[in-house]
Amino acid sequence: MSQGYPIKIYKEPDLRRSSLVMGWSSDMGYLGQKVTGYLNRKLKGEEFAEIEPEDFFSLGGVAIEGNLAQFSEGKFYVCQEYELVVFQSDSPGAEWYKFLNSVLDVAEHHCQVKELYILGAMVSFSAHTAPRELLAVVNSAEMKSALSQYELSRDMDYQTPPGGRPTLNAFLLWLAKGRNIPGATLWVPIPFYLAAMQDAQAQKKVLSFLNERLDLQIDFSDLDQEIREQNEQLAQVRSRFPQINDYINRLESNLMLSEEENGELIKKIEDFLREGD
Amino acid sequence: MGIRLHQEPQLENPILVASWPGIGNIGLIAVETLRELLEAEEFGEIEPWDFFYPKLVSIRKGVLEYLEFPRSKFYFKRVEGKEIILFIGEEQPAEAGRMYAQGRKAYHMANLVLDVAEKFRCCRIYTSGAAVALTHHTIKPRVWAVPNSERLIPEIREYGNTVLMSDIEGRGGQGNITGLNGLLLGVAKKRGFEAICLMGEIPVYLQGLPLSYPKASKSVLEVLSHSLRIEVNLDKLDELDQKVERRIEEFYQQIPTEVRGQLDRLKHVAYAQPAEPGPITEEEEKRIMEDVEKFFKKRGEEG
Repeated sequence: MSQGYPIKIYKEPDLRRSSLVMGWSSDMGYLGQKVTGYLNRKLKGEEFAEIEPEDFFSLGGVAIEGNLAQFSEGKFYVCQEYELVVFQSDSPGAEWYKFLNSVLDVAEHHCQVKELYILGAMVSFSAHTAPRELLAVVNSAEMKSALSQYELSRDMDYQTPPGGRPTLNAFLLWLAKGRNIPGATLWVPIPFYLAAMQDAQAQKKVLSFLNERLDLQIDFSDLDQEIREQNEQLAQVRSRFPQINDYINRLESNLMLSEEENGELIKKIEDFLREGD
Repeated sequence: MGIRLHQEPQLENPILVASWPGIGNIGLIAVETLRELLEAEEFGEIEPWDFFYPKLVSIRKGVLEYLEFPRSKFYFKRVEGKEIILFIGEEQPAEAGRMYAQGRKAYHMANLVLDVAEKFRCCRIYTSGAAVALTHHTIKPRVWAVPNSERLIPEIREYGNTVLMSDIEGRGGQGNITGLNGLLLGVAKKRGFEAICLMGEIPVYLQGLPLSYPKASKSVLEVLSHSLRIEVNLDKLDELDQKVERRIEEFYQQIPTEVRGQLDRLKHVAYAQPAEPGPITEEEEKRIMEDVEKFFKKRGEEG
């Protein structure tokens, strides 16, 4: 335990000025899970801490996904050589303030984190053939200036609409600001018909930014191969189903589909990609 | 996490009136209206971080400007020789997807409100909420009063348009008050404060609608101002009530004729004493409730 927060540290990492990248397990296109998982795999991330689950996650049973029982958790990994900390977590269902402060406690007191990057995905009504964008929301003018040299949209204006609520990412970014930890939430719009699947292109977009910003020297050939395979699969759906091709053509021409057409497109793509797995 | 006081007014035995949102926001609108009418001054708040999820984020040109949380504020006013503290909670510290607080957070918040009551030596606490009743929206709502001490019952009996739980048909003095408007009453008892919860009646068929019910807020404020011996002009609530009434009528006309026919009978409910037979029999009451439930279930399924 640390400072009254429910943190379990297995091994103190030896870090001087690290960066923290964090992603949620179940966001659109599994972006957070995929990107943090990729970083851990490529950079040999070692698990060193976790947040105790009982205050934050429903422990009234287990969820089953892909035939497997799951258990909600929030885990920290260190990629020592790169001064990088990766936090991969399920979204807490309660005690958000305590949970997010626990994350920042580990970042501040155990990892000497100097920068924070929070990953998120949002739905896009563009076709998968359109290039992926990367949008950043920062918590200080200095951070905005530090990111000015990268290919990012950095001028978003937004206010929570009536009846809506801010995201956990915004909550965390705000808490980091209160601790003077510069941070950014990174948002990638994912084509709506890939939102329940994976979007390797979206993953690459975020990873490329992190690679450049944090000087990680990652070789993306495996991810490029995944992107090629996914594009081929999507091309196959288009050639096999003229209706689906028509829908995607219309999206490529910036035309909207009806709700029913959206539903049909999602179903067909998901069924096809799942069969191919 | 706790209380933040911006100033410490010098008060002698004030009373505290507290409210959080609930069905029809009856108590909240009553206390909010009282705050406006008295032009009460804000003097403190409960820090929100650990109680609430933020309600609004503002981002300007890519920079997060601020995050806003639901507010829980204290106000005070000296009026006609009385000293009044008002507490208004914009939300109940409820778990995701729920309206009412419960458990540790609810208990903690109730205690923080009472810490302020204790600090300023409050002599009495009032809370306010809704009483879901077999009544009609064209009828003036009664106020159900629940004290936390036997000593307060004679006083309540002197209030106009007010009933105790034992006066309500079929209740036998029993019931419960959900959420913080009720819990505060209990925690106040535990800490030695006398307290009364005033609940304005809302027709059973309106309880699930996302509408406020200012008609009942007015009833509550009439009782409260009488109890506090202060005069307040409630015309503003009448205006609000007229607006809401139009929307209620629109909704009412959508109810199938046969169900509406049953509900129309509630217009003629004369309040019965427990010993007397009511103008609606138990059998009829059951049928009305079943019809209403069926209607709302169907409406819910149709989205």
